[in-house]
Amino acid sequence: MATEKGKQDAGKQPKKSAEKAGGSGSAGGGSNGGGKGGGGNVGPDYPDDNIRLGAAGQSLFTKAAGIGAVGLAAAVALGSMQGDGFRRFSLSYVTAFMWVLALGLGALFWVILQNLVNSHWSIVLRRVGEIIAAQAPLLAVLALPIVVPIFMGNSTIYEWSNHAAVEASHLLHKKAAYLNSGFFLVRFVVYFGFWTFISRYYLNSSLAQDSSKEPKSIMGKMRAVAGPAMIAWALTMTFCAIDLLMSLDPLWFSTIFGVYYLASCVQGNNAFIALVAMWLQKRGVLKKSVTTEHFHDLGKMVFAFTIFWAYVAFSQFMLIWYANIPEETGWYKLRFVGGWGGGWGLLSAVLLFGHFVIPFFGLLSRHIKRRRPTLAFWAIWQLVMIYLDMYWLVMPTLGKDVTAPPFGLIDLACMVGVMGVFIAGIAMRAKNLNLMPTNDPRLPKSLAFENI
Amino acid sequence: MSDHKPQAESTAPELHGILAEYDTPDQLVAASKKVRDAGFEKWDTYSPFPVHGIDAAMGIKMTVLPWITLCAGLTGLGTAILMQWWMNAYDYPWLISGKPTWSIPANVPIMFELTVLFSAITTLVGMLMLNGLPHPSHPLDLVKRFGRVTDDKFFLMIQAADAKFDEKDTRELIDATHPVAVENVLEDRVTPDTMPAGLVYGLIVVTCAALLPVALAVKARHSKSDKPRIHIIQDMDAQPKYKAQRENPIFADGRADREALPGTVPVGHLNDDDHFFQGRANGAWARTFPAQVELSEETMARGKARFGIYCTPCHGQAGLGDGMVHKRADALAQGGWIQPTNMTQEYVRNQPVGELFNTITNGIRNMPSYGSQIPPEDRWAIIMYVRALQKSQAGSVGDVPESERGSLK
Repeated sequence: MATEKGKQDAGKQPKKSAEKAGGSGSAGGGSNGGGKGGGGNVGPDYPDDNIRLGAAGQSLFTKAAGIGAVGLAAAVALGSMQGDGFRRFSLSYVTAFMWVLALGLGALFWVILQNLVNSHWSIVLRRVGEIIAAQAPLLAVLALPIVVPIFMGNSTIYEWSNHAAVEASHLLHKKAAYLNSGFFLVRFVVYFGFWTFISRYYLNSSLAQDSSKEPKSIMGKMRAVAGPAMIAWALTMTFCAIDLLMSLDPLWFSTIFGVYYLASCVQGNNAFIALVAMWLQKRGVLKKSVTTEHFHDLGKMVFAFTIFWAYVAFSQFMLIWYANIPEETGWYKLRFVGGWGGGWGLLSAVLLFGHFVIPFFGLLSRHIKRRRPTLAFWAIWQLVMIYLDMYWLVMPTLGKDVTAPPFGLIDLACMVGVMGVFIAGIAMRAKNLNLMPTNDPRLPKSLAFENI
Repeated sequence: MSDHKPQAESTAPELHGILAEYDTPDQLVAASKKVRDAGFEKWDTYSPFPVHGIDAAMGIKMTVLPWITLCAGLTGLGTAILMQWWMNAYDYPWLISGKPTWSIPANVPIMFELTVLFSAITTLVGMLMLNGLPHPSHPLDLVKRFGRVTDDKFFLMIQAADAKFDEKDTRELIDATHPVAVENVLEDRVTPDTMPAGLVYGLIVVTCAALLPVALAVKARHSKSDKPRIHIIQDMDAQPKYKAQRENPIFADGRADREALPGTVPVGHLNDDDHFFQGRANGAWARTFPAQVELSEETMARGKARFGIYCTPCHGQAGLGDGMVHKRADALAQGGWIQPTNMTQEYVRNQPVGELFNTITNGIRNMPSYGSQIPPEDRWAIIMYVRALQKSQAGSVGDVPESERGSLK
């Protein structure tokens, strides 16, 4: 640690003073030049560790893209066999999409957060997060099967997009100022436009930093952008959750809904990054750089957001339970059908125990978070729980007649399909890039990071 | 460490330990590893901030504090559950908002808070106790250079009490870690071992004072008093005036309420129009609406609105005697409930408007008086609407305009 830090200080000291004198104008030029260099995909060499995926990335891309395509095709085929105008398929697809979107948005949140708080520990993992976050345009394309029907005004699951339904319902009519196809399209463009823009900004800046002579000035800019970006992220994420999830029941409302989805975003991202890092290490990538300490921190975040999810979920539930107003309780009533023992109620119980109580005790010990197999187990467990949570939010839209979760092959096909495409997108981006920001001034501290 | 009794002044203070000073945390960590490997047990490091990796470098084992915290958290959870069950469901059940007296959702916030509270306080107190804190005095307090431990310097001290300690060898070991400075730390002969008397008496006084409110509460609970309760915040609770239905010794009849003097009428209360105010004309129930009531769309709308507010709960929207109150009473099936009158029945249809006015004004059978709630012009408007309702139930084809008759078929 001492020697590393010594090297670092010796190397950076003159640059620091030059940068202070140069100001932001010259820093901008430096970052642009570096950006072009980084855009040529392969970044500078890093002798201390293997930080490139190479052939394994290509192979992952092929497999994931294949599985994704088969999954989506199977889902469409199964959906068309339902003979319900793709209603069942659409709900299944929204479930899978919101699940994967949580991972993408979570990664973007994570990248912005690390910059915002000037985090040192996470530098070795930052590039992985940036690449996952940069899948925003792919997610926008994946959203089309949901968005296009809304815009065409013939969505089978978003009642408010249907002009005739709105005309027939006084309450929907009253909400039409916000819930209408045209304004929704504007919002959709704003959400995904912002996520694409900001995630590309962070990935490109970070790549530019790799070969830049002034990594510190790029770091400063990334940090400066993080504050406003975080505010914009929070607003877009909240309204997107309202538009795509909450408006499935257009008459129901909950002011904490955005935060509820945020819990899934943050927890999903930390679990996902931990799994990605383990996968990379199995292929000999980042093996020396990412240590038990980093996994411990990711595990702590998964644990923290296990509690946070329960806190938010209960906050939402308790106020509605206490006030007992029919327009609010109806949403929960649908989800409690069957009590503890069966139907939707059983799924609610599975979420209470499976998403909170059991993993709370499971993840409590530091030994579990510091051992990769146990951490992987709980990370996968919580990702499955986040999927079930999305299912619980989305699928009761089928109506009162469906009294139990109609789990079926179509759900699995959508899940595998959307996730496959998402992973293929990550693999395609990751295979030719340095998977660690080797030139970040904070890297030595991240490499030497210790929890205690 | 500091509890050695002061010895005779002639003897020089004993050696407490050897202190080494470093400039950076990295040097401190490196030095710690050497001291750890040399097998010392009674030694410690001091730094202005927590140094990552120092635990491993010093060979410190994982603390048991997390387990203590877990136990405290579970105790807090259990306490919250038991406490709320005992208070809300067992000792003093009290119905709130129609919820069950014992229902988990309402109790979760307290469970959460007590779990956190117990865990947090236990962690803090446990940390202090496991570290042997508070530690009122220490030989290092007298070492001037040690003051910078709260600023920018890092220290390591090996105690002379350690079994492996040897003044010469240990000194060599410390020198080998390249400290900025090394100093012998002597036992503290300056700070008295006893607590300052002022502090002791102060604590006794504060403790006694803290017990005083408890003692007063206990006394109050076990004694009786004729005096009224202490009313600390007055909030204009006691006012020099008479309330309705109270005694007043000033007047011969002893009543605080005064009646109007005979032969007087309050301004605006001269209700001398019997037709309008009583529904009577020529010694019988009036069969026509009084002149003040205009037969218009506006009056009808007013009547419909007032009917909706005052009449529908019992009589129902169409006046059939099937309002929500009736439905509820009927569903409870407790007996003694008489269905409100169906106003469209023939005998009600045949009643003069004046008689209907009297019914609203003074009530009839189970129906209470509405005279004090509904102004007379509104009562007449309601009657106009009731007449319309009656007509709607007993109309004939002849009542429908020719032009509309086609739509009935």
